[in-house]
Amino acid sequence: MALVTVSDLSRHFDGKPVVHQVSFELNEGKTIALIGPNGAGKTTTLRTMAGLLNPTSGSVKFSGMNAGEDIRPYIGYLPQYPAFYEWMSGLEFLVYSGQLAHLTKDEATKRALELLKKVGILDAKDRRIGKYSGGMKQRLGIAQAIIHQPKLLILDEPVSSLDPIGRREVLTLMDELKKDMTILFSTHILSDADEISDELLLLNKGEIVESGSLAELRNNYQTAKLELSIEGDLSTFQAAVSQLDCIEECYIEKDMLHVLAHDIDTARSQIIQMVASKNWSLTHFSVNRASLEDMFMKVVNS
Amino acid sequence: MPDIISSDLLLILLPIMVIQLILMIVALVDWVKAEETNGPKWVWLVIILLLNIIGPVIYFIFGRRQK
Amino acid sequence: MQWTTLFKKELLENWRNKKWIWFPLVMILIAIMDPLTTYYMPLIIDAVGGMPEGTVFELPEFTPTDVIMMSLGQYSIIGVIVIALISMGTIAGERKSGVSELILVKPVSYKNYILSKWASLNVLVWFAACLGLFASWYYVNILFGELSFLALLQIIFFYGLWLTFVLSLSIFYNALLKSPGLILFATIATIVTMSIVTQIFSHVLSWSPNKLSSHIIEMLQTDQIGSALWGAAVITVALSIGLIISAIYIFRKKEMAA
Repeated sequence: MALVTVSDLSRHFDGKPVVHQVSFELNEGKTIALIGPNGAGKTTTLRTMAGLLNPTSGSVKFSGMNAGEDIRPYIGYLPQYPAFYEWMSGLEFLVYSGQLAHLTKDEATKRALELLKKVGILDAKDRRIGKYSGGMKQRLGIAQAIIHQPKLLILDEPVSSLDPIGRREVLTLMDELKKDMTILFSTHILSDADEISDELLLLNKGEIVESGSLAELRNNYQTAKLELSIEGDLSTFQAAVSQLDCIEECYIEKDMLHVLAHDIDTARSQIIQMVASKNWSLTHFSVNRASLEDMFMKVVNS
Repeated sequence: MPDIISSDLLLILLPIMVIQLILMIVALVDWVKAEETNGPKWVWLVIILLLNIIGPVIYFIFGRRQK
Repeated sequence: MQWTTLFKKELLENWRNKKWIWFPLVMILIAIMDPLTTYYMPLIIDAVGGMPEGTVFELPEFTPTDVIMMSLGQYSIIGVIVIALISMGTIAGERKSGVSELILVKPVSYKNYILSKWASLNVLVWFAACLGLFASWYYVNILFGELSFLALLQIIFFYGLWLTFVLSLSIFYNALLKSPGLILFATIATIVTMSIVTQIFSHVLSWSPNKLSSHIIEMLQTDQIGSALWGAAVITVALSIGLIISAIYIFRKKEMAA
């Protein structure tokens, strides 16, 4: 079910569209990655969804909400470069955030301690935030974003400023949070998107150029490659395979028949049927999926 | 006579000096604890110590690193 | 209560950044400077070498009213500048650093946010002004003659309204602008402009907030609160409320991330 419906969202700066007529839905319980090159409009999209920017046109609607209702109680948001009250301790900041979201002081304190433990900075709870490292601040940022148990967690480039260890920790944390809430996060690091997201939104030059689940996108964009080998003469095999109409190209290289096809599933089943009917004995069969990177380049460049 | 004048002057200056002293001590404590300041840290020490009254005040207003 | 949370945070912040210590001390200093130096002027002149031989130097006689008004005179210049300085970043600084993005994405009411800033600064400024004027009153009584405690309370009350107005102006510009330096400039420029306009059109602008001081003098001289003082006080309060309502309205329309 769609938790959030974004329709025809546009945002201009000085007359120039940074985000242009973007429409998508976020399904409840999913983790969605908003990916795109720098300057694609990811941050603007997220800020508009969080209510920090007003859309030039279009709308962001939460399911089950009246028009004009304050959406902020349902949203947790972490900007790319979060700033805190550095004179507060981590615990104080979380309790304060919780109280602002209408928790009582006791509830907020209880929840803050739980979250500090969950994000792994409980030891530093009484230290001034000014003395926190970048990774600790990022984790505190996630904790403040979920203190009020929002339905949607919006994270803007949550890992891109972190070192490899910090990155790993935050990704693991996000993976844990997946079961409790819908997460929308932006990134330009494709492997991160690949690793934890269920669905992808590809943004380029302010427009959604592609969206869907990872599997769907792979299917749509791969010119996947099959590598085959049989006992016996490869060239007869090549001749037979190239007769199939779903094949784009096929050639022999290093004792292996390489087959390129758009529709990998049809190609695979047709080839296997043929192999079976002609009674060839297959010695090698592998499918090489296109990487997300390939797909991304293809979409952005097209 | 000069002795009386100077002790009288001291009386005028006493409250002002006490306030100046408190301001300076509070500023110094803050300065010691501060990890970084706006601009080089040692410059602010000079300002706090050498400029009477004004020194600690401009340190509090401009020297402390906010947020 | 969200308002209480915001208000307590402001008080705590001003305690931790030591404003609660240095600002009252500075306000005491500003207030007692003139009473002390005026009284001891002959001694000070002697101490720095005295007047040339034969110079006849008659110091005018100062009444208690004259002297406490000197304190207000200093407040109207240095005091106002310091107040503009301590308040210039109260909202703008949070927007500049980006922390307001985290705070205002929570379901925080913009009214509560602005009012907590305004109220907490008012508490600080009134506290400091009370201490300062009390100190000045103490010296005036010792050195220049009696000024009743009631008169002191009246001075604090009416002059405090002027300081509240200065704060309201600063909060208004805080909602409008993002740069603390610009806010400082705008606040002071507005006050200077108002004072010039009030002087030029003195006869018709008798209820201008800038007239509070001169009406306070009349109050001290005549021993009664004149209608002009009440008028100026009401106008000052009304303008302050208007500024704060406008600030809330402007802030609501503002984009926090822009």
